[in-house]
Amino acid sequence: MSMRRTLAIARRILHGVRRDRRTLVLLFVVPVVLLTLMGYLLRGGSTQPAVGVIQQDRGPLGPIVAQRLLASHDVAATSMSADDARADLAAQRIAGYVVLPADFSDRALRERVVAPEVHLEGTQPALSASVLGALGSALASAGTAVSGGAAPTVSPTVTYLHGGPDLDTLDYFGAAFIGLIVFFLVYVLTSIAFLRERQQGTLERLMASPLRRGEIVVGYMIGFGVLALLQSALVLAFSLAVLHIYNAGEVWLIFLLEALLALFAVNLGIFLSTFARTEFQAVQFIPLAIVPQILLSGVLFPVETEPALLQPLSNVLPLTYAVYGMRSAMLAGRGVTDAGILVDLGVGVLFAALAIALAALTLRRAAA
Amino acid sequence: MESTPAVDIQGVVKTFGALRALDGVTLSVRRGEIFGLLGPNGSGKTTLIRMLVGLLRPDSGRISVLGRAAGDAGILGRVGYMTQKAALYPDLSVRENVDFFAAVYGARARVADALRVVELSERADSVVATLSGGMQQRLSLACALVHGPELLLLDEPTVGIDPLLRAEFWTHFRRLTAAGTTIVVSSHVMDEAGRADRLGLLRFGRLLAEGTVAELEARAGVDDLEAAFLRLSATPEGAAT
Ligand SMILES: Nc1ncnc2c1ncn2[C@@H]1O[C@H](COP(=O)(O)OP(=O)(O)OP(=O)(O)O)[C@@H](O)[C@H]1O
Ligand SMILES: [Mg+2]
Repeated sequence: MSMRRTLAIARRILHGVRRDRRTLVLLFVVPVVLLTLMGYLLRGGSTQPAVGVIQQDRGPLGPIVAQRLLASHDVAATSMSADDARADLAAQRIAGYVVLPADFSDRALRERVVAPEVHLEGTQPALSASVLGALGSALASAGTAVSGGAAPTVSPTVTYLHGGPDLDTLDYFGAAFIGLIVFFLVYVLTSIAFLRERQQGTLERLMASPLRRGEIVVGYMIGFGVLALLQSALVLAFSLAVLHIYNAGEVWLIFLLEALLALFAVNLGIFLSTFARTEFQAVQFIPLAIVPQILLSGVLFPVETEPALLQPLSNVLPLTYAVYGMRSAMLAGRGVTDAGILVDLGVGVLFAALAIALAALTLRRAAA
Repeated sequence: MESTPAVDIQGVVKTFGALRALDGVTLSVRRGEIFGLLGPNGSGKTTLIRMLVGLLRPDSGRISVLGRAAGDAGILGRVGYMTQKAALYPDLSVRENVDFFAAVYGARARVADALRVVELSERADSVVATLSGGMQQRLSLACALVHGPELLLLDEPTVGIDPLLRAEFWTHFRRLTAAGTTIVVSSHVMDEAGRADRLGLLRFGRLLAEGTVAELEARAGVDDLEAAFLRLSATPEGAAT
């Protein structure tokens, strides 16, 4: 394998895309639009839940946190008395209230435990999430005020008037959706790009050059891999920073899962494009090969709830593992040492390798 | 090494289903010559050239290129191939196209030279999709010769090229052979192929004759290549060995 030849392919791909505005839009604008649309759909846009703030702390920290909450744009917070708050909550006039108890600063400084009380109405998970999110950022600022010594543990007591601490729909779908967007767009892009390589005769030219099949495939993988990683980073940043999709896991792990999925998509694109004669046919593979994967991957319907007949099928799809991995990392906060995550990562590597091999094998056929 | 022919084709047969695209072709190309493959549409010129770079394998027969089996990964770097239909990246610029192929062959230092030969230096930054058909053809040639190959395979290189530039192409081909390059060039135009040192006449996948223009005319008993071609195709038993 020659690095020079492999990189020549990768560089050529990037040069081509740089000049292709439509592809750039597909790569970097479409995901943001889709995510925004989904966020708006599932979270009902910019509803600011009303929140009560009850500041009872005798120390310095309570007022800081309260101030932050009152200034927050994520919630519409007002100071009130405990009695008013209880009544408003029962009447659903507020989505919840936060109590900063008398010993708030005391415990934070002495026991290094930041323990506010949160009372949530709970019937609308989206609103509950906003309240917790706003409190989270307010506490972060208070955390920096507790300087010196070990970092304080944040452990709010959360009580629900109704319902439970379930995550909202966007959190649940978002974790899987950000993987899906990258998978889908990267697949479409590579399969079309590779098909064009064949149609414009350049693939024949490459096969008549010292380039080896593996170099072409890996070159493609690097070229589109770079684009896919940039896209993944954008999608992830947008999801976390703008949509505030719940994330309890480590960002690099999520990125790694996404990167594996992207590599798989690149090679699946090359592989499937060898079965298409025209771009029209390549697009026809989407309902044929991509949509069933999406349906069975657990993105929409958890694999466990599928009919028994379909479950084995789900269990051999790489997307299933990616979705599962992303969810357990983001929602359950599992780390790389977790057995389940290791399986998901391993399967991801395996499928990426398999797709590379398949893509390389089909190349000979493709040129002739 | 120099004594072995640049290309040696022995009894090559290639069929596509029921069609015999090449039907027992035997010919050899000497080092440093320009060999013309002359034949009408569908006679098997492209098929033969694709076999020389290993894109197709013969059903039977042997092909050696630069002393090695055709398609051998070791010699592909010493061969240049210009496809009949320009094979270029339409969304890259002229220079980026040549630079890409140069990088594949490890010859990025020669990009500017190649562009000068095909007179595209001025258009180096134009995107290929915006070039005229003839310019694309020229660029395709630049991509084929940028790495200074020992053997240059040109499949109808001057189709769509204006007469002035065509003459310059041939001047450049001559310059290349003077420096030791071997060139195989296909054509269906008599006066184009007539410029080659030696010719192979192809028809229906069979080699009718092989030799210099004078030899072919003498064999057919006429004094004009076109007439020779017609005479020789009428009597395939008059084919060369
Ligand atoms: N991949 C293929 N599959 C089936 N038939 C093919 C294939 N490639 C070539 N042929 C057939 O082989 C014959 C020779 O084709 P070839 O392209 O070699 O002709 P040519 O001499 O280059 O013609 P032209 O002057 O039109 O370029 C034609 O009848 C063509 O249809
Ligand atoms: Mg041809």
